[in-house]
Amino acid sequence: MKAVLVGAGHIAKQHLSCLKTLKGVDVAGVCDLSAAAAEAAAERFGVAAWFTDYQAMLEATRPDVVHITTPPPSHFRLAQEALRAGAHVFIEKPATATYPELETLAREAATANRCLVEDYNYVFNKAPQAILSKIETGEFGAVTHVEVMICLDILGGTGFSDPNSPHSVLNLRGGAIADFLPHLASLAYVFVGPMTKVDTVWAKRRPSVLPFDEFRALVTAEHGTASLVFSANSFPDAFWLRVYGERMQATTNLFEARLTFDRQRKGPKPLRPFFSALEEGKAVRRAAFTTLANKFQGAAAYEGLHELLRRTYAGLMSGSGLPVTTSDILNVNQLVEALKPAEVAA
Amino acid sequence: MRALVTGANGFLGRHVVQALLARGVAVRAMVRPRTDITALAWPATVEIFRADLRSARDLEAAFRDVDVLIHLAAVVSGDEDQQFAGTVGGTERLLQAMADSGCRHLVLCSSFSVYNYTATRRRLDEESPIHGVPEVYNRDGYTIAKWWQERVARDFAGRHKWDLTVLRPGFIWGRGNAYLSPIELRLGRHYIVIGPRCRLPLTHVENCADVFALAATDERSRNQTFNIVDDPGRRIWRYLSDYMRGSGDKGWRLPIPFHAARAVVALAYKTVFRRAKKVPGLLIPNRFDSRLKPLYFENRKLRTTLGWTPPYSYKQCVARTYGKSQPPAPV
Repeated sequence: MKAVLVGAGHIAKQHLSCLKTLKGVDVAGVCDLSAAAAEAAAERFGVAAWFTDYQAMLEATRPDVVHITTPPPSHFRLAQEALRAGAHVFIEKPATATYPELETLAREAATANRCLVEDYNYVFNKAPQAILSKIETGEFGAVTHVEVMICLDILGGTGFSDPNSPHSVLNLRGGAIADFLPHLASLAYVFVGPMTKVDTVWAKRRPSVLPFDEFRALVTAEHGTASLVFSANSFPDAFWLRVYGERMQATTNLFEARLTFDRQRKGPKPLRPFFSALEEGKAVRRAAFTTLANKFQGAAAYEGLHELLRRTYAGLMSGSGLPVTTSDILNVNQLVEALKPAEVAA
Repeated sequence: MRALVTGANGFLGRHVVQALLARGVAVRAMVRPRTDITALAWPATVEIFRADLRSARDLEAAFRDVDVLIHLAAVVSGDEDQQFAGTVGGTERLLQAMADSGCRHLVLCSSFSVYNYTATRRRLDEESPIHGVPEVYNRDGYTIAKWWQERVARDFAGRHKWDLTVLRPGFIWGRGNAYLSPIELRLGRHYIVIGPRCRLPLTHVENCADVFALAATDERSRNQTFNIVDDPGRRIWRYLSDYMRGSGDKGWRLPIPFHAARAVVALAYKTVFRRAKKVPGLLIPNRFDSRLKPLYFENRKLRTTLGWTPPYSYKQCVARTYGKSQPPAPV
């Protein structure tokens, strides 16, 4: 399959490094408004051609798949043009700035018989997949509740809060936090299904150019409930996912390799915490070494993206199902839309 | 003559502004929108143009009546992509605006980091090999960004027939910025000195700024590339001694011969880290070289082409860096 990519920034490198490893995938072009960024990406990943004109790239390469890795406000137009050029679209989150734009894309994709896939990379990390597989086998029991909490210093050196150069995501409702809502929503969706009711709290604790730096939500969904949290004021950085089932509970930090399970045990009830703590300690020690090894490998943060891309291309090539369907995207983004505050600024 | 100076409030930039004023050049200083410049005490004749090259779109006005652009701005913090987007993308935006103006002379602040130290033998001068493709992409974010920035500048200059002067300073040091990467390997308050007799390609910030002002005003600088070092390089041991004396540090210094450390790094890289994608820079042999390789550094081209000699000797530079606060140079 012939793939091209538009937007040659940070996340594009992750896409390109993965695509280079997929059999049967040829990256035919990379495009960016910055000629240097496009050319550097092409040189680095051995891509045959680079462009600064998106239409010119679509016409010259006639791609099967377009990866959209530009800043979010540009996604809608670029995806629309890709679909109209007959390509499948793999789009970075957030797929569009508004839900109606996404509905339009989904409609156009269906009409053109093309696929639209949004990047829910953390869902495809090893830990959530391990939990999902225990749910599938019945070992975990039905999920009753899921907690997703991102603690990330977006007021620090991440570039979101630089007063000299406003970040493009600040135009989204919710500001920089809106950039993380698809992560929270996709993880909630995969464990408890489509939402039915949402209550949110948006707040700001520290002065900055960001409209908000704290977010909480309680979600009622078809198969359970979810609490979603973003905090720019809790340290250290972490990405906690806790899943509560009828027979087990799972805890993982998606910024690390840590994944622990707690379960009902046979034997005297007072000794359960003792054996659980021993088992948890063993898992945490093992995870410490895996986390260190992952740091040297460099790709740990995007292991889910690699897995999602692998499954997506396998699905596109074989014509079998995709790991993320249009229905999934609409459900996740319905939740994202419901999570957003009413106005851009607090 | 009027010069537009980007990064004008930076460590080097503020001295370049003073050096230009001292040579009678009118200065338009480009600073970021929220930068507080009151502490810089620039005279009222310095025009201020506020823009952030990472996102600015309307830069044409900055070039009105400008004869020479002195481009110092670069993003030196953040990850590789932030540095690339800021330094290289910013340069593209800036030079596109210059292309629409009457300005035809660009003085670019490049860096010693563009040189391939591993491929360089004994002496590093303007003829030494620079990084190639794809080898450059194995380097750190700063090196990739500065290498690309120079490439973009040469491309624009070639297409628009500008006069380009590329200046590549070594380690720029001075008051407030004397703690350089080759001496930053520490255990608590004690220093591990790898290659104590290796030379550091040093240029004191005031000497370096003088070269920029000279290059902007001297016709002989046009379409030339110059390395900026004050002398063949100070030994790391001596520089660290002066630093510790000047800053009041009391730790011990543990010397490790360069070749012993290099052999350990090379062995560790071959056996343990060969397949690793992310390794601390000092444990990667080619990055280790670019920090510490024992070389002799030349400023002969600066001396012979522009007749430059450093305004301040090393001893004077030490006094200006660690002594009592110096008043701004007379304008």
